[in-house]
Amino acid sequence: MPRMILSGSVREHAGGLGTIEVGGATAAAAIQSLEAAYPALRGWIVDERGALRRHVKLFRRGEAIALDAPVAPADEVHIVAAISGG
Amino acid sequence: MTELLVGTKKGLMVLRGSGGRPLEIAGRAFAGEVVEFATRDRRSGRYFAAVTHGQFGPHLFFADDPTKAWAQAEGPAFPTAAKAAVERIWVVEPGIGDGILWCGVAPAALFRSTDGGKSWALVEGLWNVPERGNWEPGAGGLCLHSICPWPGDAKRLAVGISSAGVWLTEDAGRSWRRSVGGLVPRYLPEEARKDTHAYCVHNMHRAPRQPHTLYMQFHGGVYRSDDGGESWNDIGSDRGLPSDFGFPLVVDPHDPDRAYIIPLKADADRVTPDGCVRVYETSDRGSTWVARGDGLPRSQAYLTVLRQAFCSDGGNPLGLYFGATSGEVFGSVDGGRTWSTVAERLPPVASVRCGDN
Repeated sequence: MPRMILSGSVREHAGGLGTIEVGGATAAAAIQSLEAAYPALRGWIVDERGALRRHVKLFRRGEAIALDAPVAPADEVHIVAAISGG
Repeated sequence: MTELLVGTKKGLMVLRGSGGRPLEIAGRAFAGEVVEFATRDRRSGRYFAAVTHGQFGPHLFFADDPTKAWAQAEGPAFPTAAKAAVERIWVVEPGIGDGILWCGVAPAALFRSTDGGKSWALVEGLWNVPERGNWEPGAGGLCLHSICPWPGDAKRLAVGISSAGVWLTEDAGRSWRRSVGGLVPRYLPEEARKDTHAYCVHNMHRAPRQPHTLYMQFHGGVYRSDDGGESWNDIGSDRGLPSDFGFPLVVDPHDPDRAYIIPLKADADRVTPDGCVRVYETSDRGSTWVARGDGLPRSQAYLTVLRQAFCSDGGNPLGLYFGATSGEVFGSVDGGRTWSTVAERLPPVASVRCGDN
């Protein structure tokens, strides 16, 4: 199963966990699986339309990926808060 | 004890202390995140904080003690069919009836809670008005920022939208009609005003003791309605105000003839006129305005006071508090006659509400 790697403040909405195994064959499906397991994450990574938050990035094997990118069972998907703000 | 909930660009500051004296920071929540608005529902004692995370978007939280743990509400979030996402949570307002609260967001929409603010549902009636396709944002976005319940009548509600005007319902939100009669959008060419949808309401409050009386700060203009928001009367022109532009507005909960505004220099500048900080009070429904500045900075003070950054404590005599984007919070414990600085060196202030009202 792919593993989602959470960074920063979103961890507190996933019981403090930084690494979570999820189902799903795409990044979007993996995030849906993550939200199903941890409902408090709903609205944080993707909005209610299912769109990735503007300042959130997904990385797999060192490359930025979109929500429709496939993820393999051995993959790790890093959910990263982009550097922004002030 | 005075308790202020001060939403800032860097978290929620819970200020506590004795009225008329500097307040202490009793607690800070959501460090590093923008707290757009925070308030307390005096019926339940529950606190609410609208937080916009720089990366992870807007979220609403609630707590029974603002200095301890906060829980995340379910919503407000649009249903899938709406094909929209909440960009910012502007206001939470207790409604009429057990557990009823309202929430205004950007893009302009109204949400309703029936469980004391734990979960929220879109008010479809307003979202689906045919005119919505013509709504345009103001500089702060297309936002529903003012919600005015009608004390004693749960079915009647007025909301203010920038820049889509005033909308009224008499059936608890199922149907809505726009009500902008008397408002003059001076920011448009005269020939374009007749058919415009762009009515830029900046703030609106109802007088709870006389619900058919409402006051409004418009984008250039101060208005009063005597008929529940059906029509609006100019109370800002030629009455001694240094400017009829601004955002902050308070209506005395005990006296429907009394209201307070903080004029700002219109409209690209948006600072206190002439470097002088003054609150203007009317006690005759807007016929005349009196400057209240005793204790406020009188020179070299170019402050910006945002829409939600002015409130009363509901007391008698009335306590008044406002915060500036420069990080000061000012207070009055005598209905505005005298003022003092109750906090300073805070992050830019977005909202001020009394927790002990």
